[in-house]
Amino acid sequence: MDYILTTNELTKTYGKYKAANEVSIHVQRGGIYGLIGRNGAGKTTLMKMIGGLSRPTSGHFEIHGRNGETTEQMMPKVGILIEAPGLYPNMTAMQNLTTKAIAVGIHDKKYLQGLLEEVGLADTGKKKAKQFSLGMKQRLGIAMALVNQPELLILDEPINGLDPQGIAEMRAILHHLCNDRGITILISSHILDELSKVATQYGIIHEGRLLEEESKEELFSKCCERLELRTSDIGKTMEILGLMGFSKMEVKDDAINIYERLNESGAITVALAKANIQTNEIAVKSEALEDYYFQLTGGKENV
Amino acid sequence: MFNLIKMNLYRMTRAVSTWVLVIVIAAFGMLQFGTLKLMMDDPFNMFDGAGTSLIGTETMTGTDTVSTFLQNSNILIIVSIFIVIFANAEQKSGFDKNIIGITKHRWKHTLARWISAVIGMTALLIIGYFVMFALCALFLNSFTIGSVTAILRSAGLMYIGMIAFSGLFFFFTTLFKSSAGGIVASLIVSLGILNLIEMLLDLLTKKFISNPRFVPSDFCLDNVVMSFKHASAGTKTILGFVALCLVYLVLTIGGSMLLQQRRDVK
Repeated sequence: MDYILTTNELTKTYGKYKAANEVSIHVQRGGIYGLIGRNGAGKTTLMKMIGGLSRPTSGHFEIHGRNGETTEQMMPKVGILIEAPGLYPNMTAMQNLTTKAIAVGIHDKKYLQGLLEEVGLADTGKKKAKQFSLGMKQRLGIAMALVNQPELLILDEPINGLDPQGIAEMRAILHHLCNDRGITILISSHILDELSKVATQYGIIHEGRLLEEESKEELFSKCCERLELRTSDIGKTMEILGLMGFSKMEVKDDAINIYERLNESGAITVALAKANIQTNEIAVKSEALEDYYFQLTGGKENV
Repeated sequence: MFNLIKMNLYRMTRAVSTWVLVIVIAAFGMLQFGTLKLMMDDPFNMFDGAGTSLIGTETMTGTDTVSTFLQNSNILIIVSIFIVIFANAEQKSGFDKNIIGITKHRWKHTLARWISAVIGMTALLIIGYFVMFALCALFLNSFTIGSVTAILRSAGLMYIGMIAFSGLFFFFTTLFKSSAGGIVASLIVSLGILNLIEMLLDLLTKKFISNPRFVPSDFCLDNVVMSFKHASAGTKTILGFVALCLVYLVLTIGGSMLLQQRRDVK
């Protein structure tokens, strides 16, 4: 597997409090890694450590297989937008971009103009950043993170507080950056439904610990729609379903979960009736990403 | 490092506060000229303020303008406000999050910011001094430029003192991580409040230490710079003055760099 970023038991403590506790994540190159967790779960702390804003108490991380803490030349390949974008309010979008560009030794105005076009801020002209809407500020924040032509983009809650239009624009930008420019994105968000529309890999973090790390397919297989079937004889039912050609199914507790041909509940009931098996319940059920998250982190009371 | 300095200068020239302070310091130069003119025209009306040391003199030279302009608590206040606002802007706006990560040597950011602040301070001082000097040369009958070397010598020495002050103000801002904290601490120095404490310290020292040559306020930057007789100082005094300024500078800028290097970005 080609990982652009791996963390190895990365830990950050503030006094006795462990904000990040031995977190090991593996971010695949070219994908979008969604970091899920409630407030104070340790997402921002983890991102700050990777972005060079905070020093790990222990553990280390590697970018492109090289130690991120000690390899200075790796850091320019990381773009970062943590919480609210850091902008000079009295400067225009172009002036803010230019400020960072000078710091990283880029003097190409056309390139900066291109960045503004990419995030939809090309026509802001002399409008100062303090007059921008939240969505515009967030997009400018992303443009700022892109100035140093990063291969890894770290975005902490970039869709927080945005209206549906802003969220849709942000989603389009993320897809463009990942698919067209090949930038790997590490993104955190509270809005799980929205995250599920963009991320290709997930890490669920809770109380500083990484609870699970899985691909989109793995996670969605746990959250996807299924036929939940309860009968008088589970063993015989499995045989009949096998004869009917079902293969994606499993027995969980006292029910059979079928993950394919969800519209064939009628045929299943008839087949079971012919075999003298009583159908107690058959229904299409689904578990949303949010439900799965609650289940994993110990329920809604934790949110 | 050079890029960071360039970046800081870029944002300095685009900050509203910089231009406000340019106007303020130019106005201060005019005010200083006005005070001097009043004093030279009618010295008996003057009871306080800049240039009181010149009362009784019939002419004023270029070196006198240096002390009038630079050995003035008001100029320290302007400098402290400039340094504090400039040093804190990056953190206040959150812009530091965009650039701190680009190098693991975070102290470079601090050093670059301070160097840029000194460049800005120098420009401000030149503008203010030039305004006052030009007005004196144009409108003060008793003004003679005198020795240019003497002016440069005095201005150079006082400039070293100003640089040391800039380090102190910069350190306060870095330490308190806020403009308010930095300005309060800097004003305590600029307004001479620290002088009172130093005076008490001198009295206490006199009482408990028998060595009469040891006076703590002789090692306090504000006291040394503001009362330094730059025009008449001998080589030994000058060397002592420069050494003290350098010690302060190393301690304050070194401390600021260390703080930045060890601290996490909020």
